[in-house]
Amino acid sequence: MMIVLSIIGQAFGQQNCRSTFSGIVVSETGAPLYGASILLATTPSSGTTTNEDGKFSFDNLCTGEYQLTIQYVGYKTKRLSVFVDKRIERTIQLEVDVTQLHEVVVKESLLNTEHAQNFSTLTEKQLAETAGKTLGESLRELPGVNTVQSGPGIFKPVIHGVHSQRILILNYGIRQEGQQWGAEHAPEIDPFVASNIVVIKDASAIKYGTDALGGVIVISPPPLPEKAVLGGSFNTVLQSNGRSGTLSGTLEGGAKGLTGFGWRVQGTAKRAGDFTSPDYMLTNTGVKELNFSVATGYHNEHKGLEVYWSHFSTTLGILKGTSVSNLDDLVNAMERTPPQYTSDFSYTIEEPRQEVSHNLLKINGHIHSSLGEWRVQYAFQNNNRKEFDIRIGSLSSIPSIDLKLNTHTVEAELETSRNNKRTTCFGMNGMFQDNNNIFGTQRIPFIPNFTSLTTGVFGINKYFFNNLTVDIGARYDYRLYNVTGYDFKNSLYKTTSNFHNASTTIGATLQLKANQVLSMNISSAWRPPHVAELYSLGTHQSAAAIEYGLLLNDTTNEVMDIDDVSFNTEQAVKWVSSYQRQWKNFTLDATVYANYIFNYIYLRPTGITQNVRGVYPYFRYTQTDALFLGADLSGIWSIDPHWSLSNKVALLRASDETNNDYLVFIPSNRYEVALRYQSVSIANSGNFFAESKVKFIDKQHRAPRTITVREFQEAIENDTDPLQGSEDNFDFMDAPDAYWLWNMSAGISLRREKVKYDFMVTSENTLNTKYREYTNRFRYYADDLGTNLLLSIKCTF
Amino acid sequence: MKHKQFLITPNSIRLLMTGLLISSMAVLSGCEEDDPKKEDTPELITEATLTFTPTGGGTTVTVTATDPDGEGVQDLTVDGPINLVTNKAYTLTIELINGLADPSEEEYDITAEVEEEGDEHMFFFGWTNNVFSNPGGNGNIDARADAVNYNDEDSNGLPLGLSTSWTTAAAAASGTFRVVLKHQPDLKTTTSTSSTGESDIDLSFTINVN
Repeated sequence: MMIVLSIIGQAFGQQNCRSTFSGIVVSETGAPLYGASILLATTPSSGTTTNEDGKFSFDNLCTGEYQLTIQYVGYKTKRLSVFVDKRIERTIQLEVDVTQLHEVVVKESLLNTEHAQNFSTLTEKQLAETAGKTLGESLRELPGVNTVQSGPGIFKPVIHGVHSQRILILNYGIRQEGQQWGAEHAPEIDPFVASNIVVIKDASAIKYGTDALGGVIVISPPPLPEKAVLGGSFNTVLQSNGRSGTLSGTLEGGAKGLTGFGWRVQGTAKRAGDFTSPDYMLTNTGVKELNFSVATGYHNEHKGLEVYWSHFSTTLGILKGTSVSNLDDLVNAMERTPPQYTSDFSYTIEEPRQEVSHNLLKINGHIHSSLGEWRVQYAFQNNNRKEFDIRIGSLSSIPSIDLKLNTHTVEAELETSRNNKRTTCFGMNGMFQDNNNIFGTQRIPFIPNFTSLTTGVFGINKYFFNNLTVDIGARYDYRLYNVTGYDFKNSLYKTTSNFHNASTTIGATLQLKANQVLSMNISSAWRPPHVAELYSLGTHQSAAAIEYGLLLNDTTNEVMDIDDVSFNTEQAVKWVSSYQRQWKNFTLDATVYANYIFNYIYLRPTGITQNVRGVYPYFRYTQTDALFLGADLSGIWSIDPHWSLSNKVALLRASDETNNDYLVFIPSNRYEVALRYQSVSIANSGNFFAESKVKFIDKQHRAPRTITVREFQEAIENDTDPLQGSEDNFDFMDAPDAYWLWNMSAGISLRREKVKYDFMVTSENTLNTKYREYTNRFRYYADDLGTNLLLSIKCTF
Repeated sequence: MKHKQFLITPNSIRLLMTGLLISSMAVLSGCEEDDPKKEDTPELITEATLTFTPTGGGTTVTVTATDPDGEGVQDLTVDGPINLVTNKAYTLTIELINGLADPSEEEYDITAEVEEEGDEHMFFFGWTNNVFSNPGGNGNIDARADAVNYNDEDSNGLPLGLSTSWTTAAAAASGTFRVVLKHQPDLKTTTSTSSTGESDIDLSFTINVN
């Protein structure tokens, strides 16, 4: 294959054959490429590959001109000539071969994304740059991904404007099952377990069940080692805001004489105290976290078996000043600066707080047969959530919400492949779930006890043509709920309901000339309603609002049968298309989407009610049709081997189509520009980078109307309707103004023998800008975070 | 031979299937638990009663605010008005009840709970000027320092307000009478106001002095 070119340059005069030619092979962004092959056309030809820092070296060369061929998978092969005399150093930059890269990425690197056309990836390197952050915060780095936030510690990922029950999180191939129904319930996952995280933005996750209306987050640990080589890493992250420290470590290896066997242990500990806004402390926002995981497995060419166990536990303080009881309290809290209870820095976490733990045990295996590859997996998840509020007297020490959720999932699938032209995958999933309120909260439970049984079957085909791959798939699911709870009178009710529906997907990826890739996907997905949406009853302490489930009667509050109300399951039709193009110095990635969600369930302001504590607006889960339109754009301009300029734009426009209204908590448009310098030093084997990033977050101009608490109170005093005769969505406060944030970071990697050290310093919100974020639920009460300085040290061996 | 026969009889298959069914049912029913136990609801206040007892005899005046469905949509009903006699001294006592509990249960009587945790609770009062001659003014909801005659105090010597003293105006007057109970854990001080902490009750009544 390789054309060996003869030496053009001839040694002339006296023969000096003690020259050295060394250099580094980098990508367009300046990242060193490990394992690139370099062939030097000498006779006989000599070749080498680059080391982990992208470096290579040829010694004892005679002076003269040499032809060089550099190859690296996913990149265009480069040929050039070099005149070598004494010591010559060169930096060689390779261009991405979009056609190849796409294939490589899809087929080899990323688990569980085989049938997705539109996705973005947080690579190991990007994850390292967000080390010490929560999962949700890390994901915000991806275009089209955002968060709904409750203060500085609780982040829920949002994909293309939807979240919670409408996105699916696959943790190591397992559907994450926790108490995801609440807007203040963050995913119970330690981001340090991941070597990469992929966000699939189409609803094509046909293999994993219902609920992927907005997309899927796929969290994948690195593959287990298969050889008896001990390796691992330790990571320490210190942050000034919250005075936090995070320690994480991984150790992995195999067994001598048992090739294919591997193990890994991993753990993370985190402690943070009160965070601070530019002007005041955010009292009681500390975090405690302790996580660990153990994995072991055996793989050979034909079969494999893995066992994985992870434990996640966290205590999250909630800004104390958000604790309000009625509208008067709320208006006081909104108008007060700083928030009530603000005091000096402390690591103490008092009420209100959440204590959450999650255990996952997973066993999976695969085996090749004449039919194809069989894969089976079983997982058990145990999720515990305790929420403590400020309550009368000694009740503060007992949780007001105390839930235990156990989930068993079983999956089996068969994948067959026919002469690289087509793969077919069939399978089935089963899930049994048991949600229990732990007795002793001394409050009527917010959500009832329930058991649910879900079964589903699916089939998906992938066809490979020359420049085109096509995916077609469908699945059918059935869910049964048995619900037992207590109503407003504290009397027992029991109901049963079931839901079933189909999901389908069709998608294609087309590779065009001139390094262009075009992909498209249309999928329809549905989700059964969550029990919380049907039956919830209670007051949110931080919102001064009462929530009623869909099945509570408007006037009597009695629980109704689902057959007696006009309920239809939520169903989304999502179209996503993306276009990538690679020029010489510029890469463009553009995604546009439209997601129409039929029977979209949301909390609609319905009226006001009065009890002895005062006046409350109440919200009822209602259905409408919602439309999400948007675009994610990103571009990287490689100015030269060192400098690059990157841009990200995320645009979103969401609307309530039935009522011709806006929806609440939709992320506003955001823009980001980053200038990065990457040095590729050869002399002291150190890689240095520095980056300056500016983010602009626009005001949400498409926010629902504002009815201030004062207006509410006036209307009540004057005996008029504060909702002004309309059930349009409203918010107590205008959407906050647009804001700019400036982040800087710099890092250096050093190698000392077999150990690699990465040091990084970051400054976030460098100018200590005072701002409030529209999707932060605590924006009513306090400013967002001030400057944060972060120091991260990682050693890998 | 007999042994082998035993293995393949339809009976043995039926036995096996039944066994599987029973064991799988046992597994599933092991996950299902009995009905959840009914929680006590000590924070739920469905009824607040204000009793004005005249000093030295006379008609006791009682008004009640009732919210029969707790967190349900039904509105509070407030009776009254509070009809007091001019130029008369009254003691006001406040009683809080959770009507969803049985009177024999501890959680029925919220008043005791408030009394016990007196250092975290305080009643504030507001009224239309001229209704009372003592205390004068319009109460301490708008300004903590304004006069209210508390008869009780918490363990720190700060006023509580389950019992208060009032003398009506000499001239007939009418207006509103508002009672606010604040929960002020670690916040209750000599200067904490009616906007400190969280509201446990917030009620307004019509008042007439004749």
